[in-house]
Amino acid sequence: MRDLKHLIYFENLLQEANNELVQKAKADGKRAIGYTCYFMPEVLLDLPGCFSVRLRAPRCTSPDIATYYLSGRVCHYARSLLERALEGGYNFLDAQMGTETCTATCRFQEHLQQKHLDSVDDMRIIDNDDFFCEFTDIPFKNTENSYQHYETQLRAHVLEPLHEHFGIDISDKAILKAVKQHNEVCKLINEIGDYRKLDNPTITGYEFHVIQLVSLACPKELILPYLRETAKEMKTRKPDDKKNFRCKVVLAGSENDDPDFTKLIESCGALVVCDRFCYGAVESRVPITLEEGKSPLRCIAEHYLKTSNCPRFMPQDEMRARKQRLANLAKEYHADGVIIASNKFCEYWSYERVIDTFILKRDFGLPVCSIEKEYINSASGQLRTRFQAFVESVEIKHIQEGN
Amino acid sequence: MKCKFCKFLLKFCGIFVALNVGLFLIFFYDLDGKLLFNVVEPFLKNHYDNMERKDVLKSPYEMDKFPKYKYDM
Amino acid sequence: MANIKKALRDFWYGKPHTAEEGGRRLGELYEDKTGLLKHREWRGVKDTMYYMYMIWGYNYLHMVTDIIKYSNNPLDFIKGTWRYRWMGQTYLPVIHWFERGLQGMRGEALAASAWHYRAMVSASLHQMCNFFNADTRLHGGKENNAYKHTIYANETTCGTLFYPWMDAGYQYIPIEMIPYFVTCHVNSHTVLNYIDAVQSLGLPGDPCPMCQAESGLFVLDDVPDSAPIIVTCNEACDASVSTHTLQDWFANKPLFALPLPMQFDDPLVKKYCMNEIEELWKFIEEQTGVPFNWESMKKRLELQNQLQRDEWEKWEVDAKTPYYPINGVAQALFRIYSTQYGIQGDFWHEASEKVKKIMYKCVEKKINTFPKTRHRVIAWSCAPLYFSNWCTWAYNCWGLNVVINMDSLMFDMEIRTDSYENMLEDMATYHMWAPMRRMAVGGMHHIFELWEYMERFNCDMVAMYDQLQCKGMQGVHGLFEDEFRKRNIKAFWMPHALPDCRTVSRAEIRRQINDYMTTVMHEEPLDPSLLDFDDSMTW
Repeated sequence: MRDLKHLIYFENLLQEANNELVQKAKADGKRAIGYTCYFMPEVLLDLPGCFSVRLRAPRCTSPDIATYYLSGRVCHYARSLLERALEGGYNFLDAQMGTETCTATCRFQEHLQQKHLDSVDDMRIIDNDDFFCEFTDIPFKNTENSYQHYETQLRAHVLEPLHEHFGIDISDKAILKAVKQHNEVCKLINEIGDYRKLDNPTITGYEFHVIQLVSLACPKELILPYLRETAKEMKTRKPDDKKNFRCKVVLAGSENDDPDFTKLIESCGALVVCDRFCYGAVESRVPITLEEGKSPLRCIAEHYLKTSNCPRFMPQDEMRARKQRLANLAKEYHADGVIIASNKFCEYWSYERVIDTFILKRDFGLPVCSIEKEYINSASGQLRTRFQAFVESVEIKHIQEGN
Repeated sequence: MKCKFCKFLLKFCGIFVALNVGLFLIFFYDLDGKLLFNVVEPFLKNHYDNMERKDVLKSPYEMDKFPKYKYDM
Repeated sequence: MANIKKALRDFWYGKPHTAEEGGRRLGELYEDKTGLLKHREWRGVKDTMYYMYMIWGYNYLHMVTDIIKYSNNPLDFIKGTWRYRWMGQTYLPVIHWFERGLQGMRGEALAASAWHYRAMVSASLHQMCNFFNADTRLHGGKENNAYKHTIYANETTCGTLFYPWMDAGYQYIPIEMIPYFVTCHVNSHTVLNYIDAVQSLGLPGDPCPMCQAESGLFVLDDVPDSAPIIVTCNEACDASVSTHTLQDWFANKPLFALPLPMQFDDPLVKKYCMNEIEELWKFIEEQTGVPFNWESMKKRLELQNQLQRDEWEKWEVDAKTPYYPINGVAQALFRIYSTQYGIQGDFWHEASEKVKKIMYKCVEKKINTFPKTRHRVIAWSCAPLYFSNWCTWAYNCWGLNVVINMDSLMFDMEIRTDSYENMLEDMATYHMWAPMRRMAVGGMHHIFELWEYMERFNCDMVAMYDQLQCKGMQGVHGLFEDEFRKRNIKAFWMPHALPDCRTVSRAEIRRQINDYMTTVMHEEPLDPSLLDFDDSMTW
């Protein structure tokens, strides 16, 4: 396939959090608002006057000082973020919108917080006088009580602080504008992503992963022109005559902002056609639907709870439905199997991976490759062997079924 | 009669003392602990290790067996 | 002559504590590896007899009478012991658990601490009997009346929530409290089977081992089938939430998830939490067909408040005087057991009354209950379950007197009973104040309340538990190091893996404390025989 015009540019944007477009937006006087989790609605951080940056710590392989603070037994992602913060890599942030949706990232964000307590010193990690960190309490269910709570929290801990600190317009009109922009991003990403459903897809999982990540890590307004152009380019992109993959897989699991991981899988012959992991597009690029009679904020609250497939959801029906949804994704994207990847020390996905591995295989007949990975995958040799073996097993299954 | 009572009393005291001495020896030398650790627990462990257990991985996992427990407050 | 005099004195009063006084050398009482005793300590005539009759004999006897009292059919108890590993391996060595926690104790400290143990055993037997009275597996698959009147809940869900149905004959069983939690204290061998079982499914070794064991019970099919419904909650961490995915699969029963807000300091979360609690009550009403009963709730909450007030009374003495007669392990476990199980019998109040009586005697007669105290220690974070008696060892060996534990400080409040609304509001706070929630996860503010508690309890040293697999506590490791240095606080870290004695052995924990006491504090042990001994195979 012909190279995508902006792929190298996108790859460069992902080399650091404070990338070219972030710097440009800052230079234009916009406020950079960091976040880590899907449950912090990025659309609210993209209100006029500010922009969202989903935090990453690319190329962080040795988080030594962060390991002193968080210990070596906490997820590498959280440690890498703290290390990058301690290095000054997030000094461009004007605020961090925290969530206690997993313990590790919560602790990372608490280190950024100015605690105003006698009990512990503020570390002032983010060297920016305007910086503040605010936590939002995120519910665990899809119920009316949860929607109300979430809405209240988002108003009190996201909108109002943005208004108070930076004078951001938090009116319904402003929110609607942000939703419109957000939905355009979703539409474009889905348009690009849908090419993965083709028999011979015209986009690789790696390319899509890069595109999805730039949409999370760059100001929407500035990345949109590139996305529009890429979506247009995709319409005429021709696949290679011969399929250069041996099977198609859904990649599911915990936090993953490392496109090289997707590349690793694809180099073993498995094309990643669907990305159902934190930072993936399955949930985050579902357009927000506004309903009559409900405020935009209420619609946003409902949207983020209803679209999430996070293993953090506790109700019995939700726990079970997640497996069904994953199986449905495999069907929708014509995948031959599922790779479930949990980050080391991620408790949610350690368990979810176990149960998915059994249930998807037993009840849905889907081959599953279950692996544990690091944030930056230095142990790629081992993983390569695992993926190669998985691809072979899927091929053998096909042959047997053919027989 | 008196003598019979004395005999009974003596016997009772004898049993009482013997019982207490016996108890004391068990207590003091941790004979209960030793018995449990060296005999009873290995026996029970062996029993539990060899017990037939249900293969829970065969448990059904129906997607719609249970309703949504949602209540509007 | 002097030797005879000393021998007589030792016989009558027991050997003195320290090496300087020609003391007792408790470490030499252990058999190599097993931790069994070559012989029990001679504590002097009075204390030895008290120990033998009022603790050892009394509790053995009550382990039988309690079963008769609580069991619908004592035969079920025997069947349960035969069926469940955690039962057989835990019930029998209970008295050795007393021994480990009470070693070296004398006089009032021995008596009062033992009453706490007694209450815990009685409550545990109550739970065991409740399990077996209702277990369909022991009754030919029949769902009897007891089964229909039992509510299962994850062990970290507070029992208080189920009081409204108790007048109607319902009981609540914290599913894993006996099979996992109590088991770890009494016999640390058992839980390893459950941890290995869940890891055999492919679960990595790093999630919280408590949660691993909780799921492992289900994997090994070692959970009685004693209730038609299950309530789970997100207490205390990510792994707790995830544990329920496996439990739900294997139990396959109606399950209600009770989430609690993480940012509990935020006043805005209270309403949400209250609604969640009410939703739980609706679920129970729906499943049982029995309405919420305010009187049943109120009655038990008042008893619970009484217990809380008792504890405050005791803490007052503990904080301000040397006359508090409960040792570190007996204090912490009593609090955890009583709050987790709630008011389902009179065992807690009975013990509390007896302890208060002993305590006031100590105050009146100015009896220094831990006379060899060199440091008043606060134990912070979550404790090693397989070595909860480390406090007893630390006092005997080094004079480290653990006067208060973080675990004891959980649920540190009364619940108002003057109106439903006030009760519900307090109930929300109460539930959010569970220990691992209030301190170890859920916002880092409260974990640093350590300094306030140090001052309140007049402590000069911190025993910092380092649960290697607790992500919440690992995530504040460096901040604590910084603060300890800045504040010049004497603190030692105690690495452990909650129930799993294979990760960090008891000997390793002792070695870490020994190293700190010799290299940092430059102190000599009170009883050098306790410095190093091999109890790797002990219960």
